[in-house]
Amino acid sequence: MAYAYLFKYIIIGDTGVGKSCLLLQFTDKRFQPVHDLTIGVEFGARMITIDGKQIKLQIWDTAGQESFRSITRSYYRGAAGALLVYDITRRDTFNHLTTWLEDARQHSNSNMVIMLIGNKSDLESRREVKKEEGEAFAREHGLIFMETSAKTASNVEEAFINTAKEIYEKIQEGVFDINNEANGIKIGPQHPTTNSTLSGNQGGQQAGGGCC
Amino acid sequence: MSDSEAPAAPEVSTEVSTEDGSPAETPDRSSPTTPDNSTDVAPTRKARRRPEIQPVADVKEKPKVEEQPAEAPTPSQSTVSQGGWGYWGSWGKTILSTATATVATVGQGLTQVIEKAETSLGIPSPTELSARVEEEQKEQAECREVPRDSSAAVESAFGMLSSLTSVVQSTGKTMITGGLDALEFIGKKTMDVIAEGDPGFKKTKGLMNRNSTLSQVLREAKEREEQQTAETESSDSEKKMVAHYGMLFDEFQGLSHLEALEILSRESESKVKSVLTTLSGDERVQLRADLELIKESFSLVEFDDEEVDEKKDEDGSEFERELTESLEGLSVTATKEKLSKACRSTCNQITDMTKPEQEEEGSEEGVKKTLSVEDVHTAAIRSLAELTARSIELFHKLAEMILFSNSSTEASALSQLTVVLCKEISLLSKKFTSCLTTAGSNEKGDVLNPLITGVFLEASNSASYIQDAFQLLRPIVEISHIQRSAESTEQ
Repeated sequence: MAYAYLFKYIIIGDTGVGKSCLLLQFTDKRFQPVHDLTIGVEFGARMITIDGKQIKLQIWDTAGQESFRSITRSYYRGAAGALLVYDITRRDTFNHLTTWLEDARQHSNSNMVIMLIGNKSDLESRREVKKEEGEAFAREHGLIFMETSAKTASNVEEAFINTAKEIYEKIQEGVFDINNEANGIKIGPQHPTTNSTLSGNQGGQQAGGGCC
Repeated sequence: MSDSEAPAAPEVSTEVSTEDGSPAETPDRSSPTTPDNSTDVAPTRKARRRPEIQPVADVKEKPKVEEQPAEAPTPSQSTVSQGGWGYWGSWGKTILSTATATVATVGQGLTQVIEKAETSLGIPSPTELSARVEEEQKEQAECREVPRDSSAAVESAFGMLSSLTSVVQSTGKTMITGGLDALEFIGKKTMDVIAEGDPGFKKTKGLMNRNSTLSQVLREAKEREEQQTAETESSDSEKKMVAHYGMLFDEFQGLSHLEALEILSRESESKVKSVLTTLSGDERVQLRADLELIKESFSLVEFDDEEVDEKKDEDGSEFERELTESLEGLSVTATKEKLSKACRSTCNQITDMTKPEQEEEGSEEGVKKTLSVEDVHTAAIRSLAELTARSIELFHKLAEMILFSNSSTEASALSQLTVVLCKEISLLSKKFTSCLTTAGSNEKGDVLNPLITGVFLEASNSASYIQDAFQLLRPIVEISHIQRSAESTEQ
């Protein structure tokens, strides 16, 4: 139950690209072909292990509809990671990536790790966007890239976990200030903190939150 | 601890009562009407109030009914009516100080502390209270033709709690009345106690005062529970009690929805403020008047506690109907469905808990006895956590829909919704405690009381969270109003 870190993720991208399905596959390991349109934001959470440490991913799955954009933008702030999703069978969803990226960068912190995801890789016959194009876009904008299938679960775990690994590395490198929660990272209740004031607290109190 | 989006807007309306012990804080945070010194005013008010309740109950009841409740719980009843009320004002404080002296951890530690306070002050024990409720409910079933009687009787059973309410009501403005409110009083105290009893927490209190939001406080509580669980995992004796509201609430995504709602609320609030600064003259006066009206409808949440006890609503269908009614025209069907479903399953659970025992006392007793008080307690805490999380989710979705559709949403409809939700929490907590009493008829008081107190406490907390979430909608309704009037003048 207890975790060393909590990372906040957002999932963004055009409507119908499979954001909610990716989340469901990751949290519940199942695929639901017909999904209600997401209103505003929905949530999912799962515990993963990186480097022997328990990390809780708290995932904010946003609505893709344009009309919800002004609301969902509010949720970007304080995310440590973002999954930017497009549909490999719909060229337009790929074309909109630049707008999504600008939006994300503008409304979140600069260190946010962004994973570009070309979803629906199982529909090879209907492919409109080549894998190379996705790779090129990711390289150009400094993103990690992966093609996934929420339906077959291919690469879904990897997409979420690799993003977490990247965030974790940034923490180790000191890029992220883990004491600033605007970065979307929270230290878990049992994690020994480096902050002297806080560790003082914990020494004297079994129930010390260990957070700040 | 400080939340991800906290730094930007520290002085938002969502601050939680960690800084002082004012019990009036929750219901009236946004309303200027409740003074902080209400605790001190309380004793006299209560002393006056108590006699008011008793006669009402007496007059309404048939003589036969009247005698029973008066006889059965004699010790506590007499303590209560004879000058025991003088203690009431200090009761809350006593909890606070006792708890501060003890190491108060969420849940178990606290309930024990409170139980201690109860016994030492001669307050009717939760077991007795709950037993009385049950008794009244039985009577209610017997004399269905006069439902008002029993409701009055239940009210008298809850008299101890109701009179606590007057603390909250000291300004005369009625917030949610009756037993639940008193529970909330205890609940808010709990939060304070948690804050006070934990030095580690205290040290960070300076930050909390300015930056804390409800979701942060909850998150903290949850973390402490997690840690507690981790620590007590090895010691079996402690393990039994572990049904952690905060952790369950988070499991049902209550925290996330609350956090998201807070974000929307905060952003709307600052938008409203900036609109106000750009306006001048008549426009500004007009808007201020409009906002005042909205504010008012957010401060007047009333409901008649008698209703809560009158109806049984065994399968949750009544709740569903009321919920549907209050949500009419608001497009949140999916979320409403989730909440109804949670309620239905809770009701089924309660039915399962109560029915078999009554019907098959002789034959299958051995089998039925497998349901321990801990099981019932766990089910109760879990249900309360789920229903509360779903309620918060509903408010969050409503907020999104209001912002999204920008359609006119009457604040009164939202306050009606709040009432429906709080009533349901109140009703279910009463049902659960009576299940507890039944299941624990062979248990000693020191086993049963903390469990019952625990359920009441979490029910009270649940109601607080729901009301807080309701308050978070205010800036959203305000900004929606501003946008709509801007649109209409443009045309």
